[in-house]
Amino acid sequence: MEQKLRQEAKALLEQNKVDWIIGFEPGSLKFTTTPLITRDKSDAEHLVINPFIFNNLADFLTGIKGRVGIVAKGCDSRSIVGLIQDNKVVREDVVILAVPCPGLIDLAKIERLAGKDRDELDDITRDGDKIIVTVDGQKKEFTTTQTLFDHCLACELPTPQEYDILLGEPRPPAPELEVSGQNIAELKETLPAKRWEFWQNEFSRCIRCYACRNACPACFCQRCFVEETEPQWVMPMPRWQDNLIFQVIRNIHVAGRCTDCGECERVCPVNIPLRSLTREMYGIVDELFSFKSGMDKEALPLMAHYEQEEAEDLFR
Amino acid sequence: MTQASEWKPKLLGFLCRWCSYAGADLAGTSRKKYPANIRVIKVPCSGRVDSLFIIKALRMGFDGVLVSGCHPGDCHYLTGNYRARRRIAITKKFLEYLGVEPQRLQASWVSASEGGKFAEVVAEVTEDLKEVGPNQLFSERKLDGTKTKTGS
Repeated sequence: MEQKLRQEAKALLEQNKVDWIIGFEPGSLKFTTTPLITRDKSDAEHLVINPFIFNNLADFLTGIKGRVGIVAKGCDSRSIVGLIQDNKVVREDVVILAVPCPGLIDLAKIERLAGKDRDELDDITRDGDKIIVTVDGQKKEFTTTQTLFDHCLACELPTPQEYDILLGEPRPPAPELEVSGQNIAELKETLPAKRWEFWQNEFSRCIRCYACRNACPACFCQRCFVEETEPQWVMPMPRWQDNLIFQVIRNIHVAGRCTDCGECERVCPVNIPLRSLTREMYGIVDELFSFKSGMDKEALPLMAHYEQEEAEDLFR
Repeated sequence: MTQASEWKPKLLGFLCRWCSYAGADLAGTSRKKYPANIRVIKVPCSGRVDSLFIIKALRMGFDGVLVSGCHPGDCHYLTGNYRARRRIAITKKFLEYLGVEPQRLQASWVSASEGGKFAEVVAEVTEDLKEVGPNQLFSERKLDGTKTKTGS
């Protein structure tokens, strides 16, 4: 798969079919990758595909001028389709190099299971449905349910639907919704006041670094409402009230665009369970309007469209 | 004493300029009685109401928010209230999930000829708010766990 990607990426640049290639190259630390954005065809040799290609590369599309060849997992492709729906990206200007994604490995989960820091692990490999972690020369086997990101367990589209070049065998979706939705289900069982207190505590930690916003391909406003000063909707200093309002409005803004790719939660430096918010919004949108983000590039954006009869039970 | 110091909910109403605001006007001119707990902001269309307005109102200490516009199909701008409907629906559901009592955000369709309905809606919403009590969502917690009321 990796070899094919390198060849295709090189060919695209050589034949001048694209101006840029966006992909992943090995990161400076163990088990990491870093986004590679290049116009140099010799860089194509550095491109990698492994279970650690975390970033949602669609995020970089809105900032680049020219035609782009982009490596896309299922979730990235949905974000790209979302951008096409919103007229932020022209379909003809993107060449989607589709990666059938078996799910990404959550290093935090591995650390918990192995009881070691990620630097102390020798190797992490995947063999079918088994994840093999080598620690101090000993091999430990884990299941994918134990080790993949929660959002990967809920994945509805491992292989991009919208693509130009497919780099491997398509994978059927096998969502494990129960495991991945456990947090939300538990939270929903508690009383409203308890839930509010839960979010109050979580957002007390928020330092308003805006990593969630910047890593999100659906968050593409030129000027974010938090930076407006007249009127000043939220205070810039990180108080839980304003942090919570920021995140609530951010979720409402990306409703119908958010594909539950889990990037916001992954990049959060203080580990706020942001996916418990995005996943719920994803569910609300599906339940009320039967709308799934990033599935159909011809569909109108959620908030630019309406049906004659819907959600009437919420109105007097 | 109990009557005078009794807590009264503060309700913020966003009324569409074409229907609900005129409906509220009609309620007044036809001498309908309804609770004086509502403060009204006139908006050009219910589609103007941003989710931010709603949350900001709760943040500022309003006990509830009422958004009211033309009946679906009757919008002066043709589609404004349909858009408002989607936006308010997700805002309401999402706030409910976070732990905000569903009574705090309410929405209604009131036409310019429905002065009576407007009075009823305000009375019902006020009753709902009396049930859920004062809005302390955004109050600071004191160290002993009790809450102090703060505005923005």
